[in-house]
Amino acid sequence: MTTAAHPELEGLGRYKFGWADSDAAGASARRGLNEEVVRDISAKKNEPEWMLDLRLKGLRLFGKKPMPTWGADLSAIDFDNIKYFVRSTEKQAASWDELPADIKNTYDKLGIPEAEKQRLIAGVAAQYESEVVYHQIREDLEKQGVIFLDTDTGLREHPEIFQEYFGSVIPVGDNKFAALNSAVWSGGSFIYVPPGVHVEIPLQAYFRINTENMGQFERTLIIVDEGAYVHYVEGCTAPIYKSDSLHSAVVEIVVKKDARCRYTTIQNWSNNVYNLVTKRAVCYEGGTMEWVDGNIGSKVTMKYPAVYLMGEYAKGETLSIAFAGEGQHQDAGAKMVHNAPNTSSTIISKSVARGGGRTSYRGLVQVQEGAEHSKSTVKCDALLVDQISRSDTYPYVDVREDDVEMGHEATVSKVSEDQLFYLMSRGLTEDEAMAMIVRGFVEPIARELPMEYALELNRLIELQMEGAVG
Amino acid sequence: MGVETRPLSTLHERTSYDVADFPVPTGREEEWRFTPLRRLRDLHKGAEADGKVVVDVDAAPEVKVETVGRTDERVGKAYVPADRVSAQAYASFAQATLITVPKEVVATSPTVVTLRGEGGVAYGHTTVVLEPFAQATVVLDHIGTATYADNVEFVVGDGASLSVFSLQNWADDAVHLSHQHARLGRDAKFTSFTVSLGGDVVRIAPSVAYDAPGGDAELYGVYFVDKDQHIEHRLLVDHTTPNCRSRVDYRGALQDEGAHTVWIGDVIIRAEAEGTDTYELNRNLVLTDGTRVDSVPNLEILTGEVAGAGHASASGRLDDQHLFYLQARGIPHDVARRMVVRGFLGQLVDKITVPDIQEQVRTAIDKELDRGGASGAAGAAKQAVRGASDEPGATIEQELDR
Repeated sequence: MTTAAHPELEGLGRYKFGWADSDAAGASARRGLNEEVVRDISAKKNEPEWMLDLRLKGLRLFGKKPMPTWGADLSAIDFDNIKYFVRSTEKQAASWDELPADIKNTYDKLGIPEAEKQRLIAGVAAQYESEVVYHQIREDLEKQGVIFLDTDTGLREHPEIFQEYFGSVIPVGDNKFAALNSAVWSGGSFIYVPPGVHVEIPLQAYFRINTENMGQFERTLIIVDEGAYVHYVEGCTAPIYKSDSLHSAVVEIVVKKDARCRYTTIQNWSNNVYNLVTKRAVCYEGGTMEWVDGNIGSKVTMKYPAVYLMGEYAKGETLSIAFAGEGQHQDAGAKMVHNAPNTSSTIISKSVARGGGRTSYRGLVQVQEGAEHSKSTVKCDALLVDQISRSDTYPYVDVREDDVEMGHEATVSKVSEDQLFYLMSRGLTEDEAMAMIVRGFVEPIARELPMEYALELNRLIELQMEGAVG
Repeated sequence: MGVETRPLSTLHERTSYDVADFPVPTGREEEWRFTPLRRLRDLHKGAEADGKVVVDVDAAPEVKVETVGRTDERVGKAYVPADRVSAQAYASFAQATLITVPKEVVATSPTVVTLRGEGGVAYGHTTVVLEPFAQATVVLDHIGTATYADNVEFVVGDGASLSVFSLQNWADDAVHLSHQHARLGRDAKFTSFTVSLGGDVVRIAPSVAYDAPGGDAELYGVYFVDKDQHIEHRLLVDHTTPNCRSRVDYRGALQDEGAHTVWIGDVIIRAEAEGTDTYELNRNLVLTDGTRVDSVPNLEILTGEVAGAGHASASGRLDDQHLFYLQARGIPHDVARRMVVRGFLGQLVDKITVPDIQEQVRTAIDKELDRGGASGAAGAAKQAVRGASDEPGATIEQELDR
């Protein structure tokens, strides 16, 4: 479709968050990675000795581990060209007005202060480059003992919790990118919800990369104590540059007995960001862990949120949705490890590929010996809207216990002429009809999102599908 | 488009006749990580052939059977080895068995190839060629014991139809690694039936390639894995031309400590292969504790113009409701259990078109069920039944007749 014939469509299909702010901090930041860089980050943050040791171990393991070759093509990442730490502002702001004008402007455009004002969220964190620049939590939650801090402050104020949990869910050497994150991590969220406390409205974090060739390595640690509940929502955007940036986060979650945690991601990085993220939760007796994972942006995403079901009747759920347009490869999926009896897991994955993009579902369901009466259901559906796109499914199932029920199903379909014809005969244009079919396809997942994100997702689908036909 | 700079599929990256092109597997490679390399008796490290597998062919009268040297130009044309052991087998076999069904000839009886292992390491090669519009059934029956690696080629000409039965009836200590590759001409029909029951380590890799539109491949498999047995099936269906069809259905049962099955089902639908219709299914029935199932149905799809594409994998134990239903009708637990297992595998066994083989497979499955039950739930159940009937070792038919 040419926009010349449709001047009204000129602005559509464009990445809405692609502007870049002036970049003094980024321009002066150092490129490349060595021990000095790691020591420097640690020193700037006045960290305890054990954290520096952990970082150095991470660096060592990062150097040792080979690049993973089983998934997306990562050969173009130039680790020497990445800026590993960019400090955008000297101190965290207490209110939006205190932020430097550029940064404030960015978050205004993203609509974050507005949401906070309207009390749609219980707390907000905004990370710009390597560090969290703004942080706020509602007073009533703070009074109940809920801790919601950026991870750097969390480490300073609660070292005992960090020593116990940091790196316990995802060890330093878990994989190459977890090792990298452990070496150079900065920012991210630290959440602790005390026993029995229900945080009714979501806590929210917003991640923004502004510098070209930036590496963002946030580290999130969430602990939901017995019987507590929290919903954490994160969103990600970045400017469009000619060369690539790297986002490699590590998210560790501990869901204790009868607790429940929901973690929602709407990843909308610009198409020059490599998004290589390790996310894992351990879930104890009667607990529930839910990942809602939306991958819309980025150049390459490799992300497989995991739940280790460690206690009886623990439950894991992953809802994953991926869109791949031109030049994008979304290699997403989920991992469920059943370690205890009567555990259950569900993975629902929906993907849409268009314009030559590639979506892959890659998942593992493992049932360890002794995890009897475990149940697992995996469903992946892929929708292809043209002839040049690609969809792959790599579902690994490993069962070491006889008393289990396992199921995996996948379908790949194209948008049928009949469906399009039906909608068009009722006056919709082809684009509108296509977008409507895709919205219907992802609806089971969209309805699990907070409302403003569901609306955003629908809007993004429309943008993605614009010009998909003809 | 920029996304893909590496080979198209990460599933099967390279093929070569030269062993040196494949490094010795360490067990970390994707294609080897499920296989117990230590039990391969150095097949992957180039073990010298010091044993023998005797090939005996009972052919249909219309079919031409030859034993040819490795230089015969009709051998090795359809298939290029895709892993080290396969390349080793190709480099090491002394004589190949070549079966040809001439143009438009319909074979009136199955051609039975008996491969009898007489111990030691051996390498082999079999080529089956169906000229256009020919029809035939070929049985590969593996018996005895050996450490055996081979490649089998099936060339199915335009409009031809071939049914293949590969029976792994090995003795308990056999090691068998095999690639069985089919090339299909225009409107060719290929049905393969793999029955893996015996052997210590059995790793069969059936694959299908299409040379022209209209090809139709059906790949079925039945396996029964016992104590410490490793049975692995690695399938590849590569849709490179439009309007071809494939169906894959593999089912197996596992019993006793150390029984391990691996099922890898790879399907690639390339961009040119519009109108492809494919479905693959793997189901595993776990009868006792201590077993391990790895089931991986991979699907790579590069075009939206597919007629249908899907896969499913399910693993679980016997359904309590089925057992309850049967027991409520007075059938003892152990008999009920066998009935359910037979029903589960029977849906595939019913598709075996050669009555002799169908009967043979049924009997073999019953024998497997008899063998199990030394431990776990099956053992307890069996004892209960024996207690009831006071007649140890009664076969299922006898018990049902009573």
